[in-house]
Amino acid sequence: MAVKMDGDSSTTDASQLGMTGEYMASSHYVLHPQDDDGEENMNDHEDGGTKENYREQDIYLPIANVARIMKNAVPQTGKIAKDAKECVQECVSEFISFITSEASERCHQEKRKTINGEDILFAMSTLGFDMYVDPLKLYLQKFREAMKGEKGMPGVAVGESLGEDLTDDGFANPLPAGIITADGQQQNVMVYTTTAYPQIPTVQQIQFS
Amino acid sequence: MSQTNSGKHSQASEAKKAISLPISRVRLIMKSSPDVSSINQDALFLTTKATELFVQHLALTSFNNRSQTEANTLNYSDLAKTAEESDTFHFLTDILPKKILAQDYLKSLEQMQDEDSDF
Repeated sequence: MAVKMDGDSSTTDASQLGMTGEYMASSHYVLHPQDDDGEENMNDHEDGGTKENYREQDIYLPIANVARIMKNAVPQTGKIAKDAKECVQECVSEFISFITSEASERCHQEKRKTINGEDILFAMSTLGFDMYVDPLKLYLQKFREAMKGEKGMPGVAVGESLGEDLTDDGFANPLPAGIITADGQQQNVMVYTTTAYPQIPTVQQIQFS
Repeated sequence: MSQTNSGKHSQASEAKKAISLPISRVRLIMKSSPDVSSINQDALFLTTKATELFVQHLALTSFNNRSQTEANTLNYSDLAKTAEESDTFHFLTDILPKKILAQDYLKSLEQMQDEDSDF
């Protein structure tokens, strides 16, 4: 039977990644307090209570974000124990890896190098999360439309001609540039820098599969 | 049909608000999977969004299934229970072992050693 036991947090990767402790939940094992001190050596991990065997880096999403989503999901009067929050934090990384491996495999099978949206959706369907697929498609649509309006990226099939004003090196400071196209419609376009959307570190071409 | 600047603005900011998890961190986790070279923007967004749905799903399912219904608190054992009983969350069983008391563990260890009698 697998057991969770008290041990040191393995955060060697924390310093490599330069992440602070608060973002790294320790791979903690919890021993229900007994007369025995933590004399028990944690070296015999043959029970599946450890994840160090198959994951080198323990990277997690910030616990505050995770906890907030949990809090909003359960009934208002409900409470969430601290160990449950930490646990879900770990489950989340597991989920992401789970989906990613599956998507990556499909990608390789089709001799492609870049994992795209379809791969992710397919992976979810395969792994028993097909109930997420439709809502996700909807979100993606909204996201694309919103980003289209902001960036007006060349190469994105917008359906209206945006004119030649927008080039790759035209991404300076954000400025509104009203353009009146040939058929008299006014298309308002924001010339956009990546820093204005800090969450996505690099601007990647949106691939329409 | 023309849209005002503010209309596009609020759409965009809504799209941003729609994500409550740091995309860059999600990307890091994805990259830590073996053989992953690059991830396109859609894939990244979808994964981040899916992760939110996952957290909601797991939290709510576990909460509703909790063993101590009077307590109104979601705790670790509720999650472990859900992982074991649900097909969808079964992949979590490796990282959600059920906790047992140390003395029970040691007892069962002794028992196993006795049974082995290879010593």
